Amino acid sequence: MSALNVGDVLGPRTIASVDPELMKLFAEILDDPNPIHLDPAAVRAMGLGDRVVNQGPANFGYVLAMLREAAPEAAVRKLDVRLGGNVFAGDRLIAAGRVEQVEEAAGERVLACRVWLENDGGTRVLEGSATLVVPA
Amino acid sequence: MAVPGLEQLPGTELAAGSFTISAEEDAKLAQVVGDGAPAGAAQPLWAYVATQRGIGVSVEELCALADFDVNDGPLLGSTAMTWSQPIERGVEYAVAGEIVDIARKSGRSGTFDILTYRERLLAPNGDEVASSTSAWILPRKEA
Repeated sequence: MSALNVGDVLGPRTIASVDPELMKLFAEILDDPNPIHLDPAAVRAMGLGDRVVNQGPANFGYVLAMLREAAPEAAVRKLDVRLGGNVFAGDRLIAAGRVEQVEEAAGERVLACRVWLENDGGTRVLEGSATLVVPA
Repeated sequence: MAVPGLEQLPGTELAAGSFTISAEEDAKLAQVVGDGAPAGAAQPLWAYVATQRGIGVSVEELCALADFDVNDGPLLGSTAMTWSQPIERGVEYAVAGEIVDIARKSGRSGTFDILTYRERLLAPNGDEVASSTSAWILPRKEA
Protein backbone atom coordinates (compact mmCIF):
# COMPACT_ATOMS: atom_id res chain seq x y z
CA MET A 1 0.00 0.00 0.00
CA SER A 2 1.30 3.44 -0.87
CA ALA A 3 2.24 5.60 2.09
CA LEU A 4 1.84 8.69 -0.04
CA ASN A 5 -0.80 11.20 0.96
CA VAL A 6 -1.97 14.67 -0.05
CA GLY A 7 0.84 17.18 0.31
CA ASP A 8 3.64 14.64 0.16
CA VAL A 9 6.62 15.62 -1.94
CA LEU A 10 7.79 13.38 -4.80
CA GLY A 11 11.52 13.39 -5.40
CA PRO A 12 13.59 15.40 -5.85
CA ARG A 13 15.65 13.51 -8.39
CA THR A 14 18.70 15.41 -9.60
CA ILE A 15 20.26 15.22 -13.05
CA ALA A 16 23.71 16.55 -12.22
CA SER A 17 24.64 17.57 -15.75
CA VAL A 18 22.77 16.93 -18.99
CA ASP A 19 25.23 14.92 -21.06
CA PRO A 20 25.56 15.77 -24.77
CA GLU A 21 26.77 12.21 -25.45
CA LEU A 22 23.45 10.93 -24.15
CA MET A 23 21.67 13.35 -26.49
CA LYS A 24 23.46 11.59 -29.37
CA LEU A 25 22.33 8.24 -28.04
CA PHE A 26 18.75 9.48 -27.65
CA ALA A 27 18.82 10.90 -31.18
CA GLU A 28 19.55 7.35 -32.39
CA ILE A 29 16.77 5.90 -30.25
CA LEU A 30 14.30 8.54 -31.45
CA ASP A 31 15.59 8.33 -35.02
CA ASP A 32 15.69 12.13 -34.89
CA PRO A 33 18.62 13.73 -36.72
CA ASN A 34 17.70 17.31 -35.75
CA PRO A 35 21.14 19.01 -35.50
CA ILE A 36 20.21 21.25 -32.56
CA HIS A 37 20.64 18.13 -30.39
CA LEU A 38 23.98 17.20 -31.95
CA ASP A 39 25.88 20.18 -33.30
CA PRO A 40 26.62 23.41 -31.37
CA ALA A 41 27.00 25.21 -34.71
CA ALA A 42 23.35 24.48 -35.51
CA VAL A 43 22.35 25.88 -32.13
CA ARG A 44 24.41 29.05 -32.74
CA ALA A 45 22.79 29.44 -36.15
CA MET A 46 19.39 29.52 -34.44
CA GLY A 47 20.58 32.13 -31.96
CA LEU A 48 20.13 29.79 -29.00
CA GLY A 49 23.69 29.91 -27.66
CA ASP A 50 26.61 27.52 -27.80
CA ARG A 51 25.31 24.39 -26.15
CA VAL A 52 23.25 21.66 -27.78
CA VAL A 53 19.58 21.46 -26.81
CA ASN A 54 18.19 18.42 -25.02
CA GLN A 55 15.36 16.51 -26.68
CA GLY A 56 12.01 17.41 -25.10
CA PRO A 57 10.98 13.77 -24.58
CA ALA A 58 14.15 13.16 -22.53
CA ASN A 59 12.75 15.68 -20.07
CA PHE A 60 9.58 13.57 -19.84
CA GLY A 61 11.79 10.59 -19.08
CA TYR A 62 13.51 12.33 -16.16
CA VAL A 63 10.08 12.88 -14.59
CA LEU A 64 9.05 9.26 -15.16
CA ALA A 65 12.26 8.08 -13.47
CA MET A 66 11.56 10.44 -10.55
CA LEU A 67 8.05 9.00 -10.18
CA ARG A 68 9.39 5.46 -10.25
CA GLU A 69 11.90 6.31 -7.54
CA ALA A 70 9.32 8.15 -5.40
CA ALA A 71 6.58 5.53 -5.69
CA PRO A 72 8.07 2.23 -6.87
CA GLU A 73 4.87 0.31 -6.14
CA ALA A 74 2.73 2.65 -8.24
CA ALA A 75 1.69 2.33 -11.87
CA VAL A 76 1.79 5.58 -13.81
CA ARG A 77 -1.47 5.88 -15.73
CA LYS A 78 -1.02 9.36 -17.16
CA LEU A 79 1.63 12.04 -17.56
CA ASP A 80 0.47 15.32 -19.09
CA VAL A 81 3.22 17.93 -19.39
CA ARG A 82 3.98 21.21 -21.07
CA LEU A 83 7.49 22.26 -22.04
CA GLY A 84 8.35 25.72 -20.75
CA GLY A 85 11.93 26.22 -21.87
CA ASN A 86 14.97 24.64 -23.44
CA VAL A 87 17.34 22.38 -21.56
CA PHE A 88 20.97 22.66 -22.64
CA ALA A 89 24.00 20.42 -22.37
CA GLY A 90 25.57 20.83 -18.94
CA ASP A 91 22.39 22.00 -17.24
CA ARG A 92 21.68 20.72 -13.75
CA LEU A 93 18.05 19.70 -13.38
CA ILE A 94 15.79 18.74 -10.53
CA ALA A 95 12.68 16.62 -11.15
CA ALA A 96 10.09 16.72 -8.41
CA GLY A 97 6.39 16.70 -7.66
CA ARG A 98 3.69 16.80 -5.03
CA VAL A 99 0.61 14.68 -4.32
CA GLU A 100 -2.45 16.91 -4.66
CA GLN A 101 -5.37 14.50 -4.35
CA VAL A 102 -5.93 10.90 -3.30
CA GLU A 103 -9.08 8.94 -4.10
CA GLU A 104 -9.93 5.33 -3.37
CA ALA A 105 -12.12 3.42 -5.76
CA ALA A 106 -12.48 -0.18 -6.92
CA GLY A 107 -9.66 -1.40 -4.72
CA GLU A 108 -7.21 1.23 -5.94
CA ARG A 109 -5.74 4.45 -4.60
CA VAL A 110 -5.54 7.03 -7.35
CA LEU A 111 -2.99 9.77 -6.73
CA ALA A 112 -3.28 13.04 -8.68
CA CYS A 113 0.09 14.79 -8.65
CA ARG A 114 1.75 17.95 -9.89
CA VAL A 115 5.16 17.34 -11.43
CA TRP A 116 7.89 19.62 -12.69
CA LEU A 117 11.46 19.83 -13.90
CA GLU A 118 13.47 22.85 -12.81
CA ASN A 119 16.88 24.13 -13.88
CA ASP A 120 19.49 25.77 -11.68
CA GLY A 121 18.09 29.20 -12.44
CA GLY A 122 14.75 28.16 -10.97
CA THR A 123 12.98 28.04 -14.33
CA ARG A 124 10.42 25.28 -14.68
CA VAL A 125 11.38 23.86 -18.06
CA LEU A 126 8.57 21.32 -17.77
CA GLU A 127 5.40 21.33 -15.70
CA GLY A 128 2.26 19.25 -15.61
CA SER A 129 0.33 16.49 -13.92
CA ALA A 130 0.65 12.78 -13.32
CA THR A 131 -1.82 10.13 -12.27
CA LEU A 132 -0.50 7.20 -10.26
CA VAL A 133 -2.40 4.11 -9.17
CA VAL A 134 -1.56 1.74 -6.32
CA PRO A 135 -3.55 -1.12 -4.80
CA ALA A 136 -5.67 0.13 -1.86
CA MET B 1 -9.13 29.82 -35.09
CA ALA B 2 -9.27 27.45 -38.05
CA VAL B 3 -6.32 27.36 -40.42
CA PRO B 4 -7.27 28.39 -43.96
CA GLY B 5 -6.90 25.47 -46.33
CA LEU B 6 -6.50 22.93 -43.52
CA GLU B 7 -10.07 22.80 -42.22
CA GLN B 8 -10.34 19.13 -43.18
CA LEU B 9 -7.10 18.05 -41.46
CA PRO B 10 -8.52 17.18 -37.99
CA GLY B 11 -9.64 13.57 -37.98
CA THR B 12 -7.18 12.52 -40.68
CA GLU B 13 -5.83 9.07 -39.89
CA LEU B 14 -2.07 8.62 -40.01
CA ALA B 15 -0.62 5.65 -41.86
CA ALA B 16 -0.46 2.73 -39.44
CA GLY B 17 2.75 0.91 -38.60
CA SER B 18 4.29 -1.31 -35.98
CA PHE B 19 7.15 -1.35 -33.51
CA THR B 20 9.00 -3.93 -31.41
CA ILE B 21 11.13 -2.81 -28.45
CA SER B 22 14.41 -4.67 -28.17
CA ALA B 23 16.10 -5.28 -24.85
CA GLU B 24 19.17 -3.46 -26.15
CA GLU B 25 17.29 -0.29 -27.06
CA ASP B 26 15.32 -0.42 -23.81
CA ALA B 27 18.57 -0.50 -21.86
CA LYS B 28 19.88 2.46 -23.88
CA LEU B 29 16.73 4.44 -23.13
CA ALA B 30 17.16 3.77 -19.41
CA GLN B 31 20.75 4.96 -19.73
CA VAL B 32 19.58 8.25 -21.25
CA VAL B 33 16.73 9.20 -18.92
CA GLY B 34 17.02 6.93 -15.88
CA ASP B 35 15.05 3.85 -14.99
CA GLY B 36 11.32 4.51 -14.89
CA ALA B 37 10.15 0.99 -15.62
CA PRO B 38 8.05 -1.29 -13.43
CA ALA B 39 9.76 -4.61 -12.70
CA GLY B 40 10.06 -6.72 -15.82
CA ALA B 41 8.54 -4.09 -18.10
CA ALA B 42 10.05 -1.75 -20.68
CA GLN B 43 10.62 1.93 -20.04
CA PRO B 44 7.31 3.84 -19.98
CA LEU B 45 8.79 6.56 -22.20
CA TRP B 46 8.31 4.11 -25.08
CA ALA B 47 4.72 5.43 -25.08
CA TYR B 48 6.23 8.45 -26.81
CA VAL B 49 9.22 6.93 -28.60
CA ALA B 50 7.66 3.74 -29.98
CA THR B 51 4.60 5.55 -31.27
CA GLN B 52 6.71 8.19 -32.99
CA ARG B 53 9.00 5.61 -34.55
CA GLY B 54 6.33 3.05 -35.32
CA ILE B 55 3.70 5.26 -36.92
CA GLY B 56 3.76 5.06 -40.71
CA VAL B 57 4.68 8.72 -41.28
CA SER B 58 7.89 10.57 -40.48
CA VAL B 59 7.93 13.86 -38.56
CA GLU B 60 8.75 15.50 -41.89
CA GLU B 61 5.67 13.94 -43.51
CA LEU B 62 3.52 14.83 -40.52
CA CYS B 63 4.59 18.46 -40.83
CA ALA B 64 3.93 18.35 -44.57
CA LEU B 65 0.33 17.30 -43.87
CA ALA B 66 0.03 20.62 -42.03
CA ASP B 67 1.65 22.41 -44.98
CA PHE B 68 4.78 23.05 -42.90
CA ASP B 69 8.43 22.52 -43.79
CA VAL B 70 10.19 20.58 -41.01
CA ASN B 71 13.30 22.69 -41.67
CA ASP B 72 11.39 25.74 -40.42
CA GLY B 73 11.69 24.44 -36.86
CA PRO B 74 8.65 22.78 -35.34
CA LEU B 75 8.67 22.95 -31.52
CA LEU B 76 7.22 20.33 -29.22
CA GLY B 77 4.90 22.21 -26.86
CA SER B 78 3.19 19.56 -24.79
CA THR B 79 2.57 15.84 -24.56
CA ALA B 80 0.08 13.71 -22.68
CA MET B 81 0.92 10.02 -22.36
CA THR B 82 -1.36 7.32 -20.99
CA TRP B 83 -0.66 3.73 -20.02
CA SER B 84 -3.32 1.04 -19.69
CA GLN B 85 -0.82 -1.72 -19.00
CA PRO B 86 2.97 -2.07 -18.82
CA ILE B 87 4.84 -1.86 -22.13
CA GLU B 88 6.78 -5.04 -22.91
CA ARG B 89 9.98 -5.78 -24.73
CA GLY B 90 9.87 -8.18 -27.68
CA VAL B 91 6.18 -7.67 -28.50
CA GLU B 92 5.26 -6.43 -31.96
CA TYR B 93 2.87 -3.55 -31.24
CA ALA B 94 0.68 -2.02 -33.90
CA VAL B 95 0.82 1.77 -34.01
CA ALA B 96 -2.15 3.86 -35.12
CA GLY B 97 -2.83 7.56 -34.98
CA GLU B 98 -4.74 10.55 -36.17
CA ILE B 99 -4.60 14.32 -36.37
CA VAL B 100 -6.67 15.72 -33.52
CA ASP B 101 -6.60 19.43 -34.28
CA ILE B 102 -4.82 22.31 -35.93
CA ALA B 103 -5.44 25.84 -34.72
CA ARG B 104 -3.93 29.21 -35.59
CA LYS B 105 -2.73 31.55 -32.85
CA SER B 106 -0.99 34.91 -32.71
CA GLY B 107 1.38 36.05 -30.03
CA ARG B 108 4.37 38.28 -29.39
CA SER B 109 6.52 35.94 -31.47
CA GLY B 110 4.17 36.16 -34.43
CA THR B 111 1.70 33.77 -35.96
CA PHE B 112 1.93 30.05 -35.36
CA ASP B 113 -0.21 26.96 -35.66
CA ILE B 114 -0.65 24.31 -32.99
CA LEU B 115 -0.82 20.84 -34.51
CA THR B 116 -2.15 18.17 -32.16
CA TYR B 117 -2.00 14.49 -33.02
CA ARG B 118 -2.56 11.28 -31.09
CA GLU B 119 -0.77 7.97 -31.55
CA ARG B 120 -1.58 4.65 -29.90
CA LEU B 121 0.39 1.51 -29.14
CA LEU B 122 -1.83 -1.55 -29.63
CA ALA B 123 -1.23 -5.07 -28.34
CA PRO B 124 -1.55 -8.03 -30.74
CA ASN B 125 -5.12 -8.58 -29.43
CA GLY B 126 -6.00 -4.98 -30.34
CA ASP B 127 -6.07 -3.61 -26.78
CA GLU B 128 -4.58 -0.16 -26.30
CA VAL B 129 -1.43 -0.40 -24.22
CA ALA B 130 -0.34 3.23 -24.27
CA SER B 131 -0.95 6.49 -26.10
CA SER B 132 0.82 9.75 -26.76
CA THR B 133 -0.92 13.00 -27.68
CA SER B 134 1.44 15.78 -28.65
CA ALA B 135 0.98 19.42 -29.60
CA TRP B 136 3.61 20.88 -31.91
CA ILE B 137 4.06 24.60 -32.41
CA LEU B 138 4.55 25.45 -36.08
CA PRO B 139 5.82 29.02 -36.56
CA ARG B 140 4.37 30.54 -39.71
CA LYS B 141 6.57 32.91 -41.68
CA GLU B 142 3.59 34.43 -43.39
CA ALA B 143 -0.01 34.05 -42.38
